[in-house]
Amino acid sequence: MKDRPITIAKIDSGIVIDHIPAGKAFLISQVLGLNALARKTGDIIAIGINFESQSLKKKDIIKVENLSLTRNMLNVVALIAPMATVTRIENGKVTEKHKVDVPDSVGDIVMCPDRFCITNHEQVPCKFVIVGKSPLTMRCHYCETEFFGPLIKYKEKN
Amino acid sequence: MNFQGRDIISMNDLTREEINYILSKVPEVQNYPNKASLCNDKVSAMLFFEPSTRTRTSFEVAMRNLGGKIGGFYDANITSSVKEESLWDTVKMHDGYGFDVIVIRHPLKGAARVAAEAADIPVINAGDGPNQHPTQTLLDLYSIRETQGRLDGISIAMVGDLVNGRTVHSLTEALLKYENCRLIFISPRDLAMPRSIIDKCARASIDRGVTFVEAGRIEDHIGQVDVLYMTRIQMERLQERALAEKFRSIYRLEAGMLSEAKPNMKIMHPLPRVTEIAQDVDETPFAYYFQQAKNGLLVRETLLALILGAIT
Repeated sequence: MKDRPITIAKIDSGIVIDHIPAGKAFLISQVLGLNALARKTGDIIAIGINFESQSLKKKDIIKVENLSLTRNMLNVVALIAPMATVTRIENGKVTEKHKVDVPDSVGDIVMCPDRFCITNHEQVPCKFVIVGKSPLTMRCHYCETEFFGPLIKYKEKN
Repeated sequence: MNFQGRDIISMNDLTREEINYILSKVPEVQNYPNKASLCNDKVSAMLFFEPSTRTRTSFEVAMRNLGGKIGGFYDANITSSVKEESLWDTVKMHDGYGFDVIVIRHPLKGAARVAAEAADIPVINAGDGPNQHPTQTLLDLYSIRETQGRLDGISIAMVGDLVNGRTVHSLTEALLKYENCRLIFISPRDLAMPRSIIDKCARASIDRGVTFVEAGRIEDHIGQVDVLYMTRIQMERLQERALAEKFRSIYRLEAGMLSEAKPNMKIMHPLPRVTEIAQDVDETPFAYYFQQAKNGLLVRETLLALILGAIT
């Protein structure tokens, strides 16, 4: 195999989200609102796509030079990348390494697919209960519609 | 169990025990010595963004029978929503006017939940689009219990438009809270029970001994059931008028079809009826739909009395 020694620079303090299925990094970045975070703080966010991986063959990786994302906030990553791992680094040292767990509920990051739902007509922040993990199935807190698969559409966060 | 101040938005929010409790309180309210002054100083806001006949009238009469008053509107065209005021703001405003309870009907799913979050006072969902209509389900359950003496082990056939009818969805989900019910879903294939409800039935078959079957002909099941729950083929929801006419002629109940019915069998219908129950059925001992509608008044009185804290 041709040697491809491309890496993302190390970060001194921040979070590394690894083992993301190839092609999902931008979606995760969108759901976590990393763009807004970067704009607000000026912190570096590095997104790597199609890195070599033993378990996934190809994987994406995200490095965030910021420690404000809590474990709870990062659990939404599990919706898109159930096998992702999170490494927390402080002052050059790994302080925590954990997997992500599918949360019991999610907030205004998904759109309700039911066109008769009030959230698609008025400015009501969406809320969903996770009612199944395999396949990932959500129920709208407002209209009670249950949906899964391609009907799960994530909102664009600016 | 205390229902004072509680929202009634979805049957999914109520446990079996809570449903039983509400139903058990109906006779207490009916026989209350001073029933006409139970809710003397209370005022209900009726926020009807969509037309309604039975639900609206029965809530109004229920409030009046308990000595309460009503305010609000029955036509969103005369309110600020034509000026694009949000539902949240409309509810918030009524919340501040000194009402004690809000009864809301709205064409959009989830609207009642939004109203409940906007209001400090309790909110009763009187229908949020095709989603929930919990007081209808409560009166259906009350009617089944009144006529059959129980809710566990009931055998019920639901007939007609099972894809669009919210009452049959809600009733099915409510019966899945009980043990060993037998559910028969009779409809044309185009109007069959949604997959999500069938999946819930499948799960309940393991947990609660529920059995269910999807079928095509009323005649095959009349002799087996305790309740025949008829629904209207909703012409406005079917693209092809001819198809609706065809379904209406097939899924029609006539007195002559009832010879095999069990003596305890009752025919129910959320009303309005069109042609799905022939008028000759009205004269049979099986017809229960008008009494069922009347039960709606009793159940709504009970719910108002509980939520307004007039009884516990």
